[in-house]
Amino acid sequence: MQPHELSLAAAADAIRDRRLSPLELVDSVLDRIEKTEPHLGAYVTVAAEQARRAAGEAEHELAQGRYRGPLHGIPMGLKDLIDVGGMATTASSRVRADHRATADSTVAARLSAAGAVLLGKTHTHEFAFGLTTPQTRNAWDLGRVAGGSSGGSAVAVASGSATFALGTDTGGSIRVPAALNGVVGLKPTYGLVPRHGVTSLSWSLDHVGPITRTVEDAALVLTALAGHDPRDPASLSVPVADYRPGAGTDLTGLRIGLPRTYYFDNVHPQVEAAVRQAIGQLEALGAQLIEVDIPMTRYIQATQWGLMVPEAGAYHEGSLRTVPGLYQEDVRILLEASELMSAGDYVRAQRSRTLMRAEWARMLEEVDVIAAPSVPMPAVGADQETVTWPDGTTESVSDAYVRLNAPANITGVPALTVPVGHDAAGLPIGMQLLGRPLGEPTLLRVGHAYEQTQPARALATAA
Amino acid sequence: MSAVELTPPEAARWAARAGLELPAERHAAVAAVANHIHSVVSVLRELDFADAPPAAAYHAGQEKRDAAA
Repeated sequence: MQPHELSLAAAADAIRDRRLSPLELVDSVLDRIEKTEPHLGAYVTVAAEQARRAAGEAEHELAQGRYRGPLHGIPMGLKDLIDVGGMATTASSRVRADHRATADSTVAARLSAAGAVLLGKTHTHEFAFGLTTPQTRNAWDLGRVAGGSSGGSAVAVASGSATFALGTDTGGSIRVPAALNGVVGLKPTYGLVPRHGVTSLSWSLDHVGPITRTVEDAALVLTALAGHDPRDPASLSVPVADYRPGAGTDLTGLRIGLPRTYYFDNVHPQVEAAVRQAIGQLEALGAQLIEVDIPMTRYIQATQWGLMVPEAGAYHEGSLRTVPGLYQEDVRILLEASELMSAGDYVRAQRSRTLMRAEWARMLEEVDVIAAPSVPMPAVGADQETVTWPDGTTESVSDAYVRLNAPANITGVPALTVPVGHDAAGLPIGMQLLGRPLGEPTLLRVGHAYEQTQPARALATAA
Repeated sequence: MSAVELTPPEAARWAARAGLELPAERHAAVAAVANHIHSVVSVLRELDFADAPPAAAYHAGQEKRDAAA
């Protein structure tokens, strides 16, 4: 096995035990990037020399007896909405052509302090306002979408071009590309991971979180990221915690909510079958399945749009007037149309969120976790714009990918996507686990238990 | 087109009221997207909000200590 194929946890063990040097690992991943990038296009920028220099410093520290923890010397990619001092944060947009960040974002600073090595910045759907990331190709099939908006991060991790990466998630932008590329994605509880220095799509829906090859890896990254920062007004004051899940797979006593409504409606049959089989595996580990009715489903999309569209329009108000022609057409027209929404639309969406949060809190008193598909269908062809379901309804690809993700953004509950197999064409399928606010330890425990019952997953093979 | 949908000239006028001058060739497309967004978000008018306040958080003069999310 080459170093670039190692999970974060395995690489961390090898580095700690001095069986692998940070420089060997970083060189292996950089070699992999050279092979994959011409086909996948996951990165906006690769900072190879900077990465080698940082790996050399990590090695030097180890030689001096200083070990920073499991991220020491681990190479990672950051979605290009995340500021790194001295580098451009392009948001994959011409609008940001001349940008240069003056300081690290909170998450970049925390990862750096934990010893992680930055490989480069990964592609996003422009300003995170879309679900496909057209610059990047799916790690399993070059003719299919990467998913988005954190498409570059998910493809890099799936292909071995980063040992882990960060994404952002406003309506599924961590979970969608993670699911479509067969990797793990965690959208933490709203406010658990500070967003200072991260370009916003929609302040009240934005989250930052890890994209990794295993659930255990996601826990290791979350441990470095979580914690209060007063510069993010939504940041929660929570004690520092070690999120690494225990080794046990016994889920006796855990109550898993199986949605009777919404999450299995208009879902591809192979996705439904794979997710139900995985849920059966959780039951076999001792969990109790309890059917639940998802509340207020008629108002999910309306609430998501009522919050996201005006907030995005507000963020871009200035540049939409000065440089409108620099936006891609799909983003520009949404920003323009956002200006025609009323204040009443926005306030109704905020009041709907109040009701929805309360209803979800009631539902999550009955169960510990909800298990569901992450997205209704695997990665679609790059040119596909709509999907037609057996009941005759037609849905845009973007709406379909957001549909099962938006509830966790609206309510702020944590949500984890875990790979649970492939369809007949070999495309990955993800299961979504949703928990109570700050219920990350439970989600990670369940996801880790599931992964231990499955064979280790190989890297994606399209590049 | 229903009576509540914006025509392209109306979309241009509303945008202008918001301080955004739209080039003439964009009026029709912006009107269509704005009407679609309106059709999605207007279902929220069905809800009985009673006394439910907007969810936006606001903590005057003190750091948040609760774990509400």
